[in-house]
Amino acid sequence: MQAFGKQIGALLIADDVVVLSGPLGAGKTTFVKGLAEQLDVQGVVTSPTFVVSRVHKPQGSGLALVHVDAYRLSSQSDLVDLDLDATKNAAYVIEWGKDFVSGFTDNWLEIEIDRAEELNDDTDPASGDRSISVTAVGDRWSDLDLAGLFA
Amino acid sequence: MSEPLILGIETSCDETGIGIVRGTTLLADEVASSVDEHARFGGVVPEIASRAHLEAMVPTIERACKTANIKLDDVEAIAVTSGPGLAGALLVGVAAAKSLAVALGKPIYGVNHLAAHVCVDQLEHGPLDEPSVAMLVSGGHSSLLLVPDITEDVIQLGQTIDDAAGEAFDKIARVLGLPFPGGPYIDKAAQTGNPNAIDFPRGLTSPKDMAKHRFDVSFSGLKTAVARWIETEQRSGNAVMVNDVAASFQEAVVDVLLRKAIDACLSNDVGTLVIGGGVAANSRLRSEAAQRCQEHNISLRIPRPGLCTDNGAMVAALGSELVKRGRDASQLSFATDSSMNITNVVA
Repeated sequence: MQAFGKQIGALLIADDVVVLSGPLGAGKTTFVKGLAEQLDVQGVVTSPTFVVSRVHKPQGSGLALVHVDAYRLSSQSDLVDLDLDATKNAAYVIEWGKDFVSGFTDNWLEIEIDRAEELNDDTDPASGDRSISVTAVGDRWSDLDLAGLFA
Repeated sequence: MSEPLILGIETSCDETGIGIVRGTTLLADEVASSVDEHARFGGVVPEIASRAHLEAMVPTIERACKTANIKLDDVEAIAVTSGPGLAGALLVGVAAAKSLAVALGKPIYGVNHLAAHVCVDQLEHGPLDEPSVAMLVSGGHSSLLLVPDITEDVIQLGQTIDDAAGEAFDKIARVLGLPFPGGPYIDKAAQTGNPNAIDFPRGLTSPKDMAKHRFDVSFSGLKTAVARWIETEQRSGNAVMVNDVAASFQEAVVDVLLRKAIDACLSNDVGTLVIGGGVAANSRLRSEAAQRCQEHNISLRIPRPGLCTDNGAMVAALGSELVKRGRDASQLSFATDSSMNITNVVA
């Protein structure tokens, strides 16, 4: 999941938005850790559930990462109230943002992660296969080679 | 010389806390909480928190002054949480504190929320031993700190690499169908459950993880394990034993936190452990901490539950210590810092 996060991170330019969904323990935070590693941003990526949004500044001159958990937001206007675009030159990852994202942008990548039922390794509850689906929305992603992501 | 009279303001999350202390004596600790409004969302919503702070601020200050039987003009300095916390919520407290400081002509201290959680114990158990090891566990933080000097030298030994401890309680409560905030409900359910019913994983305790993350904690593997266990039971058509799951989950959290905290004390040759933050109200954490500290000859300090959760008294307690030790006040131009590092005790 971390490697897949890095792969998506490499595609991102300023103002890109990734919407992330998946059940408890699917690997959403791990995905964002990989994405952050690729963008080379500051700070440890931890769950943003409590603070709702967390900004990771770039180490160098690259993109900042704005990591949002929209689980507790109740409407599109809540997402707008967060003033997410106050951070300049940033890419956005919005967990649980599927229902609200269209109020924020016309272009986004929607990534859904799901856990398989079976564990690969009984001693590691995070083991087991994941299924990932990626949906690209808007002109920004019209040239994206979706099949290539999974090659 | 009489001890300094300090007003403390705390608005980093959903509690509007106003505390008044004289030295290490608590005179007033008034808290207005917006937690009921947040409960229906299953968590804290920043916009609601900011608005609630704004409405609660003046009446809560008035109540605190009345309880302490002082006039605002009597205070020697104002202390306020400047971070870490929710940006909008912090702004309300800091704006109020600055206005008071200017209007009254008193110095202002913008202080670190985490250091205040440690310092509050002085109100209950007297002067802090320095150095101490402090473990702060709440909905937003899980940190292990080495505290050589609470007013200017606090070192972070470790922190969570994914979810905070209290957040794990909230999320598991949700999976078990228990209300928000999850901590007290899991604590209660666990009292009639078997903590050894299910052997849930202890994150970052394997030799390999310990090499890199000796004092860090992780609850995401545990969270996944609990979610999987419940799904498997449901698929097999078994009734989920909520009390056993709650007790076994809680046991895993408490075990990992205390293993790391005791290890931090022993390896730094420190004889005192302070535990603070909302999760320190957990009954199992309190009893198990007492037992393990006794085994290792470590003196344990945990404030009463009302002082563990966010409050203004803790901010006033730290302000008082800063004044007592002659530390510089903050410039009036200081800003809130939602991710304020613990290496800065004062803004």
